[in-house]
Amino acid sequence: MSLKELNSYALQALEEAGAEKAEAVITRSEKTEMNLENGALKLIRTTVDHHLRLTALQDQRQGSILLNKIHRQALEPAVKEVMAIAASSAPDPAHDIAAYQPPKIFSKGETTPDLDLMYQRVKAFTQQVAADFPRIVLLNAHLDFTRQTTFFQNSNGVDFTVNQGGYRFAITFSAQEGDSSSSFNNTGFFTLNLDQALLNCGSLRILLDQANQGQAPRKAPGKFIGDVIITPDCLEGFLHSLLGITISDGPLIAGTSPFQHKLNQLVASPCLTLASCPVSPEISSGYFITSDGYEAQNTPIIENGVLKTFLLSQYGANKTGLTRAVNDGGAFVVTPGDQPLAEILKGVKKGLLLNRFSGGAPSPNGDFSGVAKNSFYIEDGAIQYPLSETMIAGNLIALFQSIAAVSQERIDFGSALLPWIYAQGVTISG
Amino acid sequence: MNIDLSTYKGLFTDYTELRCQENNSLVIGFLKGNNTTNTRLTTSGVSARVYKDGAWGFASSPETTADGVKFVITTATHNAAFLAAKERQDAPPLPHGEVTTHHDSPPTSQQLNPEQFVAFLQEIDHYIATNYPGLASRTVTLNRTELKKNLLTSDGASAFSLLSRSLIQIGLTVEQDGAPVSLHEVFGGRGQFETLFSTPEALYPKIDQLYEHLMRKREGIYAAAGLKTCILAPEMTGILAHEAIGHTCEADLVLGGSAVGTKRGQPVASPLVSLVDFAHTAFGETCPVPIFVDDEGTTARDTVLIDQGILKGFLHNKESACHFQVPPTGNARAYRFSDEPLIRMRNTAILPGKDRLEEMIASLDDGYYLMRPSNGQADATSEFMFGVTLGYEVKDGKLGRAIKDTTISGLAFQVLQTVSAVSQEFKWLSGGMCGKKQLIPVGLGGPALKCQVMIGGR
Repeated sequence: MSLKELNSYALQALEEAGAEKAEAVITRSEKTEMNLENGALKLIRTTVDHHLRLTALQDQRQGSILLNKIHRQALEPAVKEVMAIAASSAPDPAHDIAAYQPPKIFSKGETTPDLDLMYQRVKAFTQQVAADFPRIVLLNAHLDFTRQTTFFQNSNGVDFTVNQGGYRFAITFSAQEGDSSSSFNNTGFFTLNLDQALLNCGSLRILLDQANQGQAPRKAPGKFIGDVIITPDCLEGFLHSLLGITISDGPLIAGTSPFQHKLNQLVASPCLTLASCPVSPEISSGYFITSDGYEAQNTPIIENGVLKTFLLSQYGANKTGLTRAVNDGGAFVVTPGDQPLAEILKGVKKGLLLNRFSGGAPSPNGDFSGVAKNSFYIEDGAIQYPLSETMIAGNLIALFQSIAAVSQERIDFGSALLPWIYAQGVTISG
Repeated sequence: MNIDLSTYKGLFTDYTELRCQENNSLVIGFLKGNNTTNTRLTTSGVSARVYKDGAWGFASSPETTADGVKFVITTATHNAAFLAAKERQDAPPLPHGEVTTHHDSPPTSQQLNPEQFVAFLQEIDHYIATNYPGLASRTVTLNRTELKKNLLTSDGASAFSLLSRSLIQIGLTVEQDGAPVSLHEVFGGRGQFETLFSTPEALYPKIDQLYEHLMRKREGIYAAAGLKTCILAPEMTGILAHEAIGHTCEADLVLGGSAVGTKRGQPVASPLVSLVDFAHTAFGETCPVPIFVDDEGTTARDTVLIDQGILKGFLHNKESACHFQVPPTGNARAYRFSDEPLIRMRNTAILPGKDRLEEMIASLDDGYYLMRPSNGQADATSEFMFGVTLGYEVKDGKLGRAIKDTTISGLAFQVLQTVSAVSQEFKWLSGGMCGKKQLIPVGLGGPALKCQVMIGGR
């Protein structure tokens, strides 16, 4: 029995067991990963896994189960259990499954890894880093190829197959400073093939070059309200935090979102245009179907500062009476601005180039505070020195409202396409 | 999990670890009275890791069958050979581990059925909704996890370990001037749900206390940014011990240039500070995450990192122990069957002192009493950051107004030099998960500390 047949069989078993609505999803993944530790290639991993997720609805009660035993004999007890879980749940009319859409097969990327090429790329990367950036210590890095096949079916007739494969590279590094080392930093990217040298992808060369400068870090001078240039590596986390407290299921269902009544209103600086583009050719990774079983589409989230959509799941939409989002978010594409980064930098009187933010989870009202890591002090339009022991605090919503410029340049991480943004009014204390 | 791993020992050609593992979890969530989640997750499988001439190969499969075991041993051996041939590393063999066996007993208590779990949480949710109708939102979430591992190594070590954890997280949100203010707390820890949570009513006094703190936080002020003398409550100290000090003492980070690399035998903290990564038992009681044998088959032992302010040692797996020419400490741990063991902490704690928390607060003229952490991060330089979700200003030895969410930071070994009092009161945080490529459950513990830290405010 093929995986697809097994998935159909599981769906049928749920319906026969009494589920009014049912969903079955099988995902099979195979990963090959090369690991560097302290500059040396130390480990090759091959991991094979598969998961079956069964969801049943009965009398408005929903239960689900996820297991990685997907042979036919394991299905009967799994179906029985998911029905018992559903029966135990509290009823909620908002639970539902995706409506019918025509069956479709989606495919992207390669099917098998080129182990020798992976090895060559990793070796070339370590040699280039040693030659071009002698102070850099590669604490760990891994290059993996993951191939994933998903079969998504439900009792409304949804029948999707997704085949995706690609390479992901991630590194953690620091720089030697005398007897000690600098703060570590990390970055990475996703790519569909290994046509390019790893060092030329994502923001690797920029970050390694900055870390390699070797200038001793210092605290920012005292406490002041200043500007920040948020780098592409740092921006993605801020975007996730902002959207998490404002337009996702949790705060909208709870009724605590600061953007609850702000659809089609100005919520950020007019300089900001943000889209979620999981099926755009600009995004190498992305996804084809949402977690609740709809074909994903690209969507603007904020257009010239105006909120264009909430990121609600089907459940969240049913719960709030608002519209379901056409995707699950992520895959961020921020429209570039009209100034080069160098010009933006010249306009900063006193502030930071924020490369990494190590902070507590932001409050539901958007307040944040944390440490500016791997960052630089800027004064009179020029980078002065790398920072240590410097904290920043502000409010996420106010931060995105204060954006004064967005750079022309963007970094392609494969999973997101992001510029540098220039924001104001952050409390900086060294 | 019923497979006899010893049957496959004949397939080992190099140093090999063979592990069969099952992770179970149950998540039931209520958001504002809505039963948003009711899910059980089970993942299991088998993995092998092979060491050859300084190179490692690893493979995993969800099939805990003869074919699955043969696949992982063969593939891991091939991966190690591929890398060893390419890299030609001049590495010594791993230290030959002791032949050890360990077997945890299965749980004995009667387990609740799905309806009983949901009813239990619904009762808690109903209590909150009835008693505190002014809340803007509330969450009640159960997270029950169980890790079962069966290990066999080519050195002859064998172990069956079982780790159970049951947590209930309560989150309360209130609105103040149109903006949400939240506070949450995690209850429970190691063990079966049924033994940790007798009745919903047992939690009510703690929920009442959480609500009282939230009401004070609602009127809270921003902390003043800058260097401040603070009293860190035991919950905060535990995360300091783990994030800021423990991580820098993991031997793989030491080899990568962490701040402690050249400081063994030197003073790194106030003499009032001693810090231990406990294997399984501390102060005569079982730790939150007891590890008797690690995932390389090493018998786990307590590791003293700091003794009265002096840095004593690091946390090791077999390979790093070989590099530093010390015995392995039993810190190699993996989270899922498909994860390779990494150097991880187990139960990291600053030891209690002689002061009383009440007197420590009374001794503070101007500062903060920081009570509940959220997330935390640290760096090889020992610079740390923790979110603070609950704290109070202290003026002239008395608790004052609550503060809004904030963050504290500092260089751990500088902060530890400023420690001027350590409380007798000690507490474990038993719900912690540490992220380092993989997640792993950890225990964090400590007394209250009086010290100076940077606080991120306005």
